[in-house]
Amino acid sequence: MSYSTFNQEQTNPLTEPMFLGNSVNVARYDQQKHSIFEKLIEKQISFFWRPEEIDVSRDRVDFNKLTDSEKHVFISNLKYQTLLDSIQGRSPNIALLPIVSIPELETWIETWSFFETIHSRSYTHILRNLFTDPSEVFEDIVINEQIKIRANDISQYYDDLIFYTQLWQTHGEGEVTVDGETYNVTQREIKKKLFLCINSVNALEAIRFYVSFACTFAFAERELMEGNAKIIKLIARDENVHLTSTQHILNLWQYGEDDPEMKEIAEELRDEAYEIFMTAVKQEKQWAHYLFKDGSMIGLNESMLCQYVEYIANLRMQAIGFDAPFENMRSNPLPWMNKYLVSDNVQVAPQEAEITSYLVGQIDSEVNASDLGDFDL
Amino acid sequence: MTKTFKVKVNGGPELAVDATEGTLLEALEKHQLEMHYHCRSGFCGACRTKLNSGQVRYTTEPLAYVRKGDILPCCCVPESDLDIEH
Repeated sequence: MSYSTFNQEQTNPLTEPMFLGNSVNVARYDQQKHSIFEKLIEKQISFFWRPEEIDVSRDRVDFNKLTDSEKHVFISNLKYQTLLDSIQGRSPNIALLPIVSIPELETWIETWSFFETIHSRSYTHILRNLFTDPSEVFEDIVINEQIKIRANDISQYYDDLIFYTQLWQTHGEGEVTVDGETYNVTQREIKKKLFLCINSVNALEAIRFYVSFACTFAFAERELMEGNAKIIKLIARDENVHLTSTQHILNLWQYGEDDPEMKEIAEELRDEAYEIFMTAVKQEKQWAHYLFKDGSMIGLNESMLCQYVEYIANLRMQAIGFDAPFENMRSNPLPWMNKYLVSDNVQVAPQEAEITSYLVGQIDSEVNASDLGDFDL
Repeated sequence: MTKTFKVKVNGGPELAVDATEGTLLEALEKHQLEMHYHCRSGFCGACRTKLNSGQVRYTTEPLAYVRKGDILPCCCVPESDLDIEH
């Protein structure tokens, strides 16, 4: 089943599954099987921003005032964010586009990945400002053991799916031997790998990212590194949209609203999916330990961050049909986080860089009598 | 004109919520309840709440997946008395 960039067969995208049906041919959106993905595209594009719009120059002064343990937290956190977006800026495209079967989802994946590349560029924007030569920070991302553990766990599900998809697209179904190793390639096997991969991506965007956001905003709470926080606020808003998209995919499968075979697989691999989330939680707690190994900072320490991991994991796992695994962590241990996660609370003049919700060309053409109620003649 | 409904949260006392004054999320915050939320615009789903009984109306179409039996208080108002678990 080799991939074609323009599938010549006449297909009906309304009856195709989200993945592993016929490949997409005409990019049309007049009819849609899952219109939610186009709505997410519109939402995401309305959030367009550029890192260069945000002035981070004051952060350098703040950074030099930080203690060594605080610098460790700040830089390690930024390295981790850089890793996450390095993966997310390419992997949805490479892993999912070859097997996507409906145009609105194909375009969503491209939009999603594109925004991750904006995030990646913004880390360079932040680091360039802090260091004359940020190479050392970037180079450490592939050497640092603590980061490598995470990188491995996150990328393995993508890599596995990509590899099996490649075997399937070049050899078709059946046993394939590569470098002395035999792989049993079936479409069902690829669907299983896809299911696990989407769960892992959701854990990444819905839990791992939020742990890193908490560290960023803890500095901003002390009015430190605020340029950086402004950027991360925009990134967090985008991630809110991204995590919704993978929750949609998982729920559509689970409820049998898409591919019936994926519904079976979702049931069959439920425990494995659960473990993916629990492993992410465990790793994030280990990461919290590493961040604060030299000391905590005002407003945030290892135990508070671990509590937040559990709190956020409860919310995210319930969103895809699991019971909350951490029953005694029902209230938010870092209530100040929410003010940075609200999408629309910076309402200043649209031309100012700070505004986070400036919609271009958005006109509300619906007017009714009540809108004019305040007018007096 | 006010349109007040009784809202019961986590089996607690019935709270009066005026459906003409802001979203259900805002109304419950006014009653000093600790609410889960992030975006407050219906796309992230962090305020997801279980609806045991009653009806709500969305003032903004939610973009987050709303599972059967759930509601998103950040973008809806009550249309009847409610019993919810948040």
